[in-house]
Amino acid sequence: MFSLYLVVFLLAFTVLGPFIWTIDPAYQDLDQISQPPNIDRKAVLIAPYPVWDGTASHAATAMYGEQQSASPLQLAQIANTESVRLLWDNIPDAYGYRLYRNIFPTEKGQALGLPLFTSYDLNIKRFEDLLDLTPRTFYYTLVGLDKDGTELPAPFTLKVKVARVLTIAQAIEKGLIDASDKPQIGSIVYLTLHPMGTDYLGRDMLARLMYGARVSLFIGIFAPLIFVSVGILYGSTAGFIGGQVDQFLMRFSDFVVALPFLLFMILFKITFGIGPGESGVIPMLIAMILLSWPATARLVRGQILQIREEGYIAASRLLGAKSHYLVIRHMIPNIMGVILVTMTFAVPSAIFTEAFLSFIGMGVAPPTPSWGSMCYEGIKTMLTHPHELVFPAILISITVLAFNLLGDGLRDALDAKMRSKE
Amino acid sequence: MIPETSVKSRIKPGNSSIKQLLWLGLAAGVFFIFLALILNWASSNSDSTQSSEGVDITANSISLALDQEPPQLDSTRTSDAISGIILGHVMEGLLRFDKNKQLAPAVAERWEITPTGATFWLRNDARWSDGTQVTAHDFIFAWKKVLNPATASQYAFFLYPLKNAEAINSQNLSAEALGARALDDLTIEIEFEKPISYFDKLVAFTTFFPMQESFYNKTQGRYGADADTILYNGPFIISEWVHSAKLLMEKNPHYWNNDSIKLNAINWSYITADTTAKLNLFKDKRTAFVQLDAETLESALNNRWTINQFSDGTIFYIEFNHRDERITRNYHLRRAMQLVNNSNELVYKVIKLPGNIPGVSLFPGWLQGEHQLFRQEYPPPAHNIDIENAKHHLELARKELGLEEFPALVMLTSDSPTARKQSEYYQNLFKRTLGLNIKIDLQIFKQRLAKMLSGDFDLVMGGWGPDYQDPLTFGDLFASWNIQNRGRYNNPALDKSVRIAQNSLEPPIRMKAFADIQDILYNDAVIIPNYERGRIYVLDPRVKGLVRRIIGADPDFSRAYLVQEPAGDD
Repeated sequence: MFSLYLVVFLLAFTVLGPFIWTIDPAYQDLDQISQPPNIDRKAVLIAPYPVWDGTASHAATAMYGEQQSASPLQLAQIANTESVRLLWDNIPDAYGYRLYRNIFPTEKGQALGLPLFTSYDLNIKRFEDLLDLTPRTFYYTLVGLDKDGTELPAPFTLKVKVARVLTIAQAIEKGLIDASDKPQIGSIVYLTLHPMGTDYLGRDMLARLMYGARVSLFIGIFAPLIFVSVGILYGSTAGFIGGQVDQFLMRFSDFVVALPFLLFMILFKITFGIGPGESGVIPMLIAMILLSWPATARLVRGQILQIREEGYIAASRLLGAKSHYLVIRHMIPNIMGVILVTMTFAVPSAIFTEAFLSFIGMGVAPPTPSWGSMCYEGIKTMLTHPHELVFPAILISITVLAFNLLGDGLRDALDAKMRSKE
Repeated sequence: MIPETSVKSRIKPGNSSIKQLLWLGLAAGVFFIFLALILNWASSNSDSTQSSEGVDITANSISLALDQEPPQLDSTRTSDAISGIILGHVMEGLLRFDKNKQLAPAVAERWEITPTGATFWLRNDARWSDGTQVTAHDFIFAWKKVLNPATASQYAFFLYPLKNAEAINSQNLSAEALGARALDDLTIEIEFEKPISYFDKLVAFTTFFPMQESFYNKTQGRYGADADTILYNGPFIISEWVHSAKLLMEKNPHYWNNDSIKLNAINWSYITADTTAKLNLFKDKRTAFVQLDAETLESALNNRWTINQFSDGTIFYIEFNHRDERITRNYHLRRAMQLVNNSNELVYKVIKLPGNIPGVSLFPGWLQGEHQLFRQEYPPPAHNIDIENAKHHLELARKELGLEEFPALVMLTSDSPTARKQSEYYQNLFKRTLGLNIKIDLQIFKQRLAKMLSGDFDLVMGGWGPDYQDPLTFGDLFASWNIQNRGRYNNPALDKSVRIAQNSLEPPIRMKAFADIQDILYNDAVIIPNYERGRIYVLDPRVKGLVRRIIGADPDFSRAYLVQEPAGDD
């Protein structure tokens, strides 16, 4: 029963989910790239940003910069996510400057972090950092360079807390506030909520998982439904008629089993004229149907052959039953258990196939998400932003497990022989 | 027959099924731990044949990862940066750039350049890797092969300063008329088509590398396809090339300046574009060098490696297809897409790599002009993002093209993670601001080059690395006759400016011509500049002497050497 609830939940997640969670999965929130879930979304509204003329506002260092004593490196203005503006004084004996940025304080003798700026022009004593500013603490380090570019000892470090800001125009464009609200500079707005975080382009993970489930579950449910039906028809025909026809049909199914799936997938993609950048879901579905039915067909044929020789069938025949009555009344109900079980076990394998094909880039085209392609993208940032990989991976695992358990339960519930014994 | 009891236990609802699940979960966990242990044991027992160390002091070798498989290594046909790196290690031209980026003698011992021609005197002791002498005839043969229309070399235009070269390349003259002759085995005399100010800088480039005629004929058209179908004259030879897997280099025993080469081997042991994989290889000390991207940067910081930065001078841009049947031929459509472009956002928020500079022009900021930097003398036209105006242009384009709705445009791009991210960003940008649908065509490097050449795209994420130190290396890209002009842009006004820049010796006139090209490219919306690339890399502290340069093979490990681990550092 537990598994049934899980399957119902997954279906609701993908069908009803997008109605409740109405964020466009392709929308790129570039202020929140690769954000983990549960982040502080507070942002302060500021006036439009003028181009920097190189001067300092005195409030800046007092408010945010924690300076070493007599450090030449200073903040020119309050540091925020729009820009960090730094000024410095002369370093004696320097022929040039290099500025580093780091995300933790460096100790003596250690690498100083990310080189942002190098200049041998002693007149340039300012730098505006725009690169990937997130609300966190940065450590800027300034070192002097000697004539041949070697770094002088005694670097100067400045700890800078970056505050998240948005200009009013940006906030209106993102729909966070209304222009009619007469927004005040300095008031606080909250960025769009992303309950499961965002991916590498700031797209909402929850919305992408919901839409991705569509592709995964579509393949996962339709492909088995169709190929199991084909298999039943084929197998029962072969089994019921028997003889030469049976031999011929079964040898043909052996031939189909021998065809390689991946090769056919690629061939279908080409013959269907699926150009670059188009979704390969339909050829994937067709390739699966055309190549996966023999397993079911064999199973059903075996069952039918067995049932055909049973005593009650012979009795029924003697009473004048016609072929179609025999098949519908006696044979299909008796093999129902086998059919349902095959089907529920085919679902997870189809979902896996989809995930695997999208993972190697043969499935959906960007920006359409699918769980497989999301895993593929997430694996690149596994070390720094694990949530991009973990969420789709968990969903694939849960789905596969749920259908496996469901298959298990159905087998127990529907097995005619077991029922008769109880 | 299934026994009664077991049936009951299986279908018992509630608690026991959860208990069963927990047991299964536990069993699976134990299984995975065992699997991990076994795999770990297996991997520690394998690879004994080839050194898997990034820096192997005893063998005096380094291991590195190559981004892509070079399409082929025939110096007369090559056009990509990866082949350039490999050829820079295994071949040598008349001249080369030394570690201070200055021209240095290579196969040529000395040379003389006059307004009408040039003479190169080759050294006596330059040898091919089979021990035979590198002669003037080898150079002449290679150059004639480049210019032979059957070779279809994309870089044939590089030889156009030689007298009659352009006519030979367009089949109007026989190769015998080429203005370059071998006076004897060791002297090359060159006659110019017209005076040229930067010829010595061209000669160091790949296309001018020599090729031995007798060996070439022996390979029966397979020259450059495998390690044993190339004859080397550079500091290294390729000892083994397993396609798409690895490319191993050994010191060339016949190289004339063998004393300057310290390493015994450079093993390009891995060929992968996956930056995370490359980072892990470096972390495990299996490679000595890794370039970082935004995703791997943070782990590099956390590992407290010394990070180096370098601008490689390459500019990246979106190119449009101007062929007749493409709707991107329409000016207003291109203009609309240009007006919504925001290079700042792309560089600072999407790519997030330090050192990248938002692109504003085809001419990167480092190019020298007449007295100052070129872009200080001639700033590119100001770019203002204007979505309303863009929509207006889009509407004009729709009317001119007579379309109800725009069909989806195909954007060709390479499969590197940065290019993928960038293309998805633009896909969304054009959709959000203009309602244009973009299909992304991800292709591997080789395939992308082929598709670019055949014009199978609407937009392409292109890029150009400079080949010589003159703005012309960028300036002639969109000339109608240039084969690198992938979109077949054809504008007589631009062609005229390119001709002026090529033919004039007066710097003020040339710079003015480049400024005109810069303006035309912006005003006619020929390209959308993306960024000027900066590289962030980490090098094993035991490797010294790596040369990074804008022009020529980069990175260049050919003169690198190893030192013992710095004391007091683990």
